[in-house]
Amino acid sequence: MKLRFDESVEAFRSEFLEWLAVNRPPAEEIDADPPRSSAYVPRWAAAFTRRMFDDGWLVPGWPPERGGRNAGAIETLVYLEELNRAGVPRTTNPQGLGIIAPSLFDYGTDEQIEKYAMPLLRGETSACLGMSEPDAGSDLANLKTRAVRDGDNFIINGQKVWTSGANYADFCFLFCRTDPDVPKHQGISIILLPMDTPGVTVRPLTEIVAPDFPDLNEVFLDDVILPVENLVGDLNNGWRMANGSLAHERSMVWLMGVMGMESAMTELLAAAPGLLADLGPQERALAVDEIAGLHIDTVAARCLGYRGFARFVRTGSAPEQSLMKLYSTEARQQLARFAAELLGPDSLRTGTGRHGEAGSLEAYFTTFGTTISAGSSEIQRNIIAERVLGLPRG
Amino acid sequence: MDLELSDDQFELRDNIRAVLDGACPPAVVRAVYEETGTSDELWAQMTELYWPALGIAESDGGLGMGFVEIALLAEELGRAAVPGPLLAVVSQFIPMLAEAGASGLLAEVATGARVGSLAYAERGRWGPDAVATVAVQDGDGWSLTGRKQAVLGGVHADSFAVVARADSGDLGAFLVARDDLVVVAPEVIDPGLGLADLVLENVSATVLLAPDADVAGSLERVTQQAAVAMALHTVGACRRIFEVTLEYAKVREQYDKVIGSFQALKHRFADMFLSVERANAVGYYAALAIAENDPARAEAAHIAKAAAGDCQRLLVQDGLQLHGGIGYTWENDLHFLLKRAKAGDALCGSRAFHRAALADVLGLVPETAS
Ligand SMILES: Cc1cc2nc3c(=O)[nH]c(=O)nc-3n(C[C@H](O)[C@H](O)[C@H](O)COP(=O)(O)OP(=O)(O)OC[C@H]3O[C@@H](n4cnc5c(N)ncnc54)[C@H](O)[C@@H]3O)c2cc1C
Repeated sequence: MKLRFDESVEAFRSEFLEWLAVNRPPAEEIDADPPRSSAYVPRWAAAFTRRMFDDGWLVPGWPPERGGRNAGAIETLVYLEELNRAGVPRTTNPQGLGIIAPSLFDYGTDEQIEKYAMPLLRGETSACLGMSEPDAGSDLANLKTRAVRDGDNFIINGQKVWTSGANYADFCFLFCRTDPDVPKHQGISIILLPMDTPGVTVRPLTEIVAPDFPDLNEVFLDDVILPVENLVGDLNNGWRMANGSLAHERSMVWLMGVMGMESAMTELLAAAPGLLADLGPQERALAVDEIAGLHIDTVAARCLGYRGFARFVRTGSAPEQSLMKLYSTEARQQLARFAAELLGPDSLRTGTGRHGEAGSLEAYFTTFGTTISAGSSEIQRNIIAERVLGLPRG
Repeated sequence: MDLELSDDQFELRDNIRAVLDGACPPAVVRAVYEETGTSDELWAQMTELYWPALGIAESDGGLGMGFVEIALLAEELGRAAVPGPLLAVVSQFIPMLAEAGASGLLAEVATGARVGSLAYAERGRWGPDAVATVAVQDGDGWSLTGRKQAVLGGVHADSFAVVARADSGDLGAFLVARDDLVVVAPEVIDPGLGLADLVLENVSATVLLAPDADVAGSLERVTQQAAVAMALHTVGACRRIFEVTLEYAKVREQYDKVIGSFQALKHRFADMFLSVERANAVGYYAALAIAENDPARAEAAHIAKAAAGDCQRLLVQDGLQLHGGIGYTWENDLHFLLKRAKAGDALCGSRAFHRAALADVLGLVPETAS
């Protein structure tokens, strides 16, 4: 147990901070064209991605030819922390960088890597993840979008929903049913779908807040024809790959949750004296107790995350990933809820952007994205009970 | 920041656990509850293993381990609902003697020759403001008058480090021999704690920390150790409640299924697990902050004890509820753990006490109200 990192890690941190000071995207450019969708890549973001790729800071754990520097897990953690602390968005296409590119490296052909993964890393393209459907949400294996083999092609029909960034993405990592006659987990394949293929219709869905910046979409697929070389990995092996892909995402997502919560807590503590001063003694005492409790949650999220991470570094596995997903998202949601309560009528104001200003109800509602997607809180509890605690499937 | 135990720390924990599995099975705890036995033999075994010496500096005759190791020991003692004075000795008496630089006394404690505890709380309250016991200088020594409450391990102790207030208003700490004061042992729900109240009437005492303004800082350091050890002690009991309840849910059948297959219960198990992991993680964070004397130690200690309070609330509630009728019986061993976990919150400052103290550290309490 140690409270501080080794000197070599701190040297790595300094090196990155020096690089970042010179290379971070200018704030004016970000303000002029802010991140607005999971796959919209503003010019400053593309340029920043390219600089990170060229200098080995895009995914530090990868080899240099993939935009990294073969850094260890602890160094990667420090890197993510510093980016976050600096308020610099690492990518404006998290699905592409965090899930789709690594999945292509694991399962794709050399041609697929060259044509689809590398342009993502250089900031030239963006991608979306087509998993969920109207009847396949938590029960993803129930997906029905059909891909039927026809000579050297697949013909695809069906519908996706909640596809983040489909309105801006260049291609989609599309989950399809390729064999309807086997148990549902065994007949799923992944196919690369360029979004400009004939037969693809994207309809943005306005979200609960910030209606001017739709990110979720319905994607309709009508007799879409794709060559068989767009199949990723083996036919009917999509379910296994899906679990692999999402694992890429989960190993450090907790850190974003924790850091988001920490900055929200810092803002709350800064605003608190002013807001509390207007309250009567009893109301004030209640509010102070809530803040203390939320502060405990914030510190606990970091402690849990760091401990799980230390286990991961030592043993290569961390069965508590689900625990961190569950805790960091729910605790952050409660913090956002209370921040709005404390702010009072001012929390009702809108127009604060897609992620909302601290204390706004918009910010609170936005947190539900994290407790519903990537395995809802209820699904995480099922996973903890069954896979971590060994309770029988009901 | 690395919050996982090292290999050596895991080994120490496993050793302690193995010893307690053998030396302190529920039957031993039950004997203390039913007054058919005592914790004396267990204490003798633990002193043979030098457990009281773990956290004493090598120069004072101890094994020189840090506070994380003491936290580990406290957690394991909670896990087995161990009866006797060891928790009081390692997390309250020794830290006070170390703060006072009392080498000679520490050497005696290391061998088990001296058994002591900290007498701090009064009128049900933990914290410097509650101390009303007065200390008056009397020739070379001091004379103390007042009442102390809920002294952990007090029925077993031969010495007490008593916190009292001098005329100046400053607090000090004083050593009092058991024979010089009146020890009252009330009947309490967990007799393994050895709780005692102390009545002091012009009792002669030797000084450990002479009353002055600096004592406040010393006392904070000592009471932080007491609180964090009690937090992990509570969490240790809670983790065992969790394990026992989980095992039960995997075998107890109703409606032709094990009850652990009902989703309503699965989700409660997930939440219980989270609560234990959460309290455990912040507990060791606080222990580490104390071991490294980090500036965050005060805040971390309040967080640890408050989170342990959250944890025992949920684990006692659901642990008992999910056992059904069998958990409601004296015959089942579960209640030793339930009672230890509840007691853990009542001692060394409750959940509410530490949340309020945390709010103070965070600057949320205006000057006039604090
Ligand atoms: C902001 C956001 C972004 C998203 N981005 C994408 C994306 O890019 N690509 C993509 O493919 N999908 C995406 N999704 C979809 C997301 O994966 C699904 O919303 C999620 O899987 C839940 O499915 P559902 O919405 O159909 O809800 P349902 O599965 O219908 O769930 C409804 C409720 O029932 C509960 N429930 C369901 N099953 C169980 C069970 N077995 N036990 C207990 N409770 C249960 C759920 O927890 C939930 O509370 C996104 C969603 C959101 C909110």
